[in-house]
Amino acid sequence: MTHLQGSSSSLKRKRQDLAIVSESLTDAERVLYNLIHSKKDMGIWTGDMKRETNLPDSIVKKCLKLLQSKNLIKDVVNIQNKGRKHYMAAEFEPSKEITGGDWYNQGRLDTEFINLVKDVCLKYIFRQKVATRDGVLEWSRKSGVFRVEVTTQQIDEILRALVLDDDIVEVKSTGFGDFSSVPVGRICYICKSKGGIRGEQKSGAMASIPCGVCPRINSCTPDGIISPRTCVYYQKWLDF
Amino acid sequence: MATQYGIKFAIHLITNHFGNLVAKVCENLLRHGPLTLDQLIHYTELSKEQVKNSLLVLVQHNCAQAFVPEPEDDGSRLRIRTEYMALFDNIIHRLRFPKFLEIVSRKLDEECVELLDGLLRDGRLTLKQMVDRASQGKENAVATNAVREILCKLLAARFVERCPAPEPVVSTSFKETTTRKRGAKSAKIFEAPETLEQRVIFAAVPGDGIRFSLTPDTGSNVDGETNSDDAQMSVEENVEFGAEEEKILWRANFEEFIRHLRRKVLVENVRAQHDDGTATVLNAVLEATRTVERKVKMDNSVPLSLDTIVTEVMKTDTGRTMTIDRIRASLGQLGCSQRMIVDDSYSIDLKKIIERARNEEVESIVLKRYGRDAYRMFRLLSRDGDFHDTDQIAASTLVEKKEAPKLLHKLWNDNYLYMEKIPVTGARMQNTSITMWKVNKPLLWEYVLDEMYHAALNLNLRMAFEQEKDEELLNVPKDKLKEPGPLQKKYKRLLNVWLLLGSSLMKLDDALMLFHDF
Repeated sequence: MTHLQGSSSSLKRKRQDLAIVSESLTDAERVLYNLIHSKKDMGIWTGDMKRETNLPDSIVKKCLKLLQSKNLIKDVVNIQNKGRKHYMAAEFEPSKEITGGDWYNQGRLDTEFINLVKDVCLKYIFRQKVATRDGVLEWSRKSGVFRVEVTTQQIDEILRALVLDDDIVEVKSTGFGDFSSVPVGRICYICKSKGGIRGEQKSGAMASIPCGVCPRINSCTPDGIISPRTCVYYQKWLDF
Repeated sequence: MATQYGIKFAIHLITNHFGNLVAKVCENLLRHGPLTLDQLIHYTELSKEQVKNSLLVLVQHNCAQAFVPEPEDDGSRLRIRTEYMALFDNIIHRLRFPKFLEIVSRKLDEECVELLDGLLRDGRLTLKQMVDRASQGKENAVATNAVREILCKLLAARFVERCPAPEPVVSTSFKETTTRKRGAKSAKIFEAPETLEQRVIFAAVPGDGIRFSLTPDTGSNVDGETNSDDAQMSVEENVEFGAEEEKILWRANFEEFIRHLRRKVLVENVRAQHDDGTATVLNAVLEATRTVERKVKMDNSVPLSLDTIVTEVMKTDTGRTMTIDRIRASLGQLGCSQRMIVDDSYSIDLKKIIERARNEEVESIVLKRYGRDAYRMFRLLSRDGDFHDTDQIAASTLVEKKEAPKLLHKLWNDNYLYMEKIPVTGARMQNTSITMWKVNKPLLWEYVLDEMYHAALNLNLRMAFEQEKDEELLNVPKDKLKEPGPLQKKYKRLLNVWLLLGSSLMKLDDALMLFHDF
């Protein structure tokens, strides 16, 4: 899971003197490398390279290969357009615009990781009964789920997703009972499901009958081809 | 205004209870709006006698109301035509009779339940008819006084009321602008205007003093003579003319039952959202202001001072242990913040609690139908109420950027979301547009309500179908069904099916009320 590595450490590690690099390169390679390097953590698409450098296609291709073999540049997946070849100087980590944000890995949303973090946060809130954002942040740092520094923004995003999942509820502390550890009026989170398990849901009246989840309800009529008399969902539901 | 499937469901109920002729008349009233007797005969193509009798049945069961449009100033003064109007809400209430009886059995006693049962079965009754009903199958006739006492109990609790005026005069001059807006969805966004139905009902209801009083002296407007062509349609016709008291017709007061059910939903929702203490406080507030409430759909509770609330809460069993600070905190949880309070009086936002419950019902449908990612996105939009663009939604809900538009389109396609495309002009972005999404609650709720009526109709039809399929079982002697074998197995299955369909219908009806009556 390299996607969460902070950019500062890698920056230091990979920093090289541009002058030394330039010496070992051909003119075309240097032009191309300088262009790619100038785009920093945004990288650049091969199409744009050709347009901006006016180099022929074959030369660009060859140079890119050489630059890559020298570990000066790397190809990255651009979330905005996965089909386009995108390159970046090796010393940079792709920006959020390119990767899609903290939760993206190789241009794909890392749902497995998100679910893991969600589980950990929810378990913590469940155990604490009432938890503040800072409390969750501190716990996540200690828990070791994140290999690298976790930001408040990331925790905010996870908490927001959990609220939208209806697994937790955002409330203001009343200072009574479970809230006694949190100052009155402070925003905190409580667990909604019993047992701190995600995705537990009581379904409404409509959602618990076949019609409530029927994809064909709009073509269902009392005497039509699809009707409650002939309905296969009903058949299944009433199969005692 | 009733939705398409609402009307279909209502007609289905009427067909089941009163047969095809009555249903035909009712259907025309529901689809065309108020009609005169002649118009009804024209539309239904039935004989005058048939239409009249059907109307009598509908009026007797409080499913229709006659009224006289106020004559306009021109020469039409001479011709007064009585019009008839179907009362959609009352038709659907027929589904809820078991719930109404249950309330009375909990609040009052078995005798009251029996009397109310008679009123629900027969629609409208005079005291004498009630006595006759009570005496049926008994050796000695039941004393009138005994029945009157029971009626008094029901009246005091407002579960029973005097029947409304048979033919009130109602001004219909606003008709063109406010009635029959079916299809014009945009109209729903604004505060719904008073409908003709509401106006007629309001005009027909006697004042509170008379409505729930047993003494007959003020009943003159109830039985007031009418000089219209259809005066003979009055249902009181059959009533023997004896003492004044015997002329008064009584019926169940649906409004009070619905208010009761609404209150229960409010309290239970608060209990689920917060805790027992907060539910106790809300219940005490609602109980204290019960008689002051003007209508069922109260947006806010009647303002009460903290002292009054504390007194009311401490009267209850569960509230006795609560301190003032605890009560104040509960009021805070109910949305009464210190700043909003004027003159130390607390008023609870009830509409918000109902809205929350509606949201939950809709969200659970979204979750089941479209999955968890769609559920998160829908909740984001539903809670916010504002427009969001696709990327923003995907980022806020941690949904894969490529998946988000697919799911959003699906929801939009099924009327769950509202979408707008905003063209973007820029150097490198030709012919592109940003898609913005939003949940339009009034529109969505109307749509969901219609789907629910559809589902309720389907449950009913399936029940009928299951019964039809296993009809032979009903002719089999009971003893045979007790012996193990294929017959018993089939019988057990039918019972299970009935139980499941029946309980699902009652649960769905709670949701119908949540979206329509509360």
